[in-house]
Amino acid sequence: MILLVAILAGLVAGLFLARLQKRPWMVPPLRQPWLAVIAFIPQLLISYLPSTRARVADTLAATGLIVSLALLLVFCWINRRCSGMWLLASGLFLNLLVMAANGGFMPISPQTASRLVPPDSQSALAALGNGSRFGTKDVLLRASQTRLVWLSDHFLPPKRFPYQVAFSLGDMLIAAGAFWLMLTQGRALEAPKKKPKHKIAKESEC
Amino acid sequence: MKTNFVKLFIFTQKINRQHIQFAFALLALVLLVVCAGAPSDGGIISH
Repeated sequence: MILLVAILAGLVAGLFLARLQKRPWMVPPLRQPWLAVIAFIPQLLISYLPSTRARVADTLAATGLIVSLALLLVFCWINRRCSGMWLLASGLFLNLLVMAANGGFMPISPQTASRLVPPDSQSALAALGNGSRFGTKDVLLRASQTRLVWLSDHFLPPKRFPYQVAFSLGDMLIAAGAFWLMLTQGRALEAPKKKPKHKIAKESEC
Repeated sequence: MKTNFVKLFIFTQKINRQHIQFAFALLALVLLVVCAGAPSDGGIISH
C-alpha cells in the first residue's frame, strides 16, 4: 500500500513537472517487463492468494520468495540505466539480504506486530508462536533472534497516524527509488531522431 | 448493437503499440515495487 502511494505520488509529481515544462509525459521504457510479471507469480501464490497461500509449505514459500526477489534483482540490473533504479535495487537487495538471513521471510518483532493488529485480534497474535508467519511476507521473530535486525520491518509511523504499517530500510529505498523513477523518467512522445550507430545503444536506455 | 460494434472498433483502432507498451511498463513497475517491498500492515495475521 505505502509503496503504491510512492508510485502514485511520483506519477502525480512527474505529470506536474511535465506540465510545467510544457511537454508530454511517458512512463519509463523498462526493458524485459515480462521478467517482473514472471517474478510476481510465486509471490501471488505464496502471499496474496488466500486459497494457495494456506496450502504452500513454509519452506517452499520461503524459497519462492527468495527466487522471486532474485529475479527482480536481475530485472533491475537489466534496467540499471533508469534513474532511480539503483536506489530501488539497493532497497530490494537489502530486503533480499535480511529475508535470506532469516529463513526466507521478512522478520518482524512481536512488539512491532502488536501495533499493527486491532485490539480484538491481540489475543490471536499472542497465540502465534515465535517463527509463525505474519502478514503477507513476514515472520514473527524476537529481536534478539533476528539476524540483521536493523534491516527488518521495525520502522513504524507515529501512533496517531491512521494507517499503521511496519516497514524496513529497504522498503524506504524502494519507495524513494520508485518515486524518483516516476518523477524523472518522463519523456517527450516525439519520434527519435536518427543517430549514429554507436550512439543508438545509449539512447535506447532510460 | 451494430453501432456498439462500430464504437468498439473505432476505440480499438485508437489503441496503438505505444499505449500497450505504456500499460505493460506501468504494470511491470507496479509489480516490481509491490514484490520487492515487504511492508506489513498486519492484514493477514497468519495462515
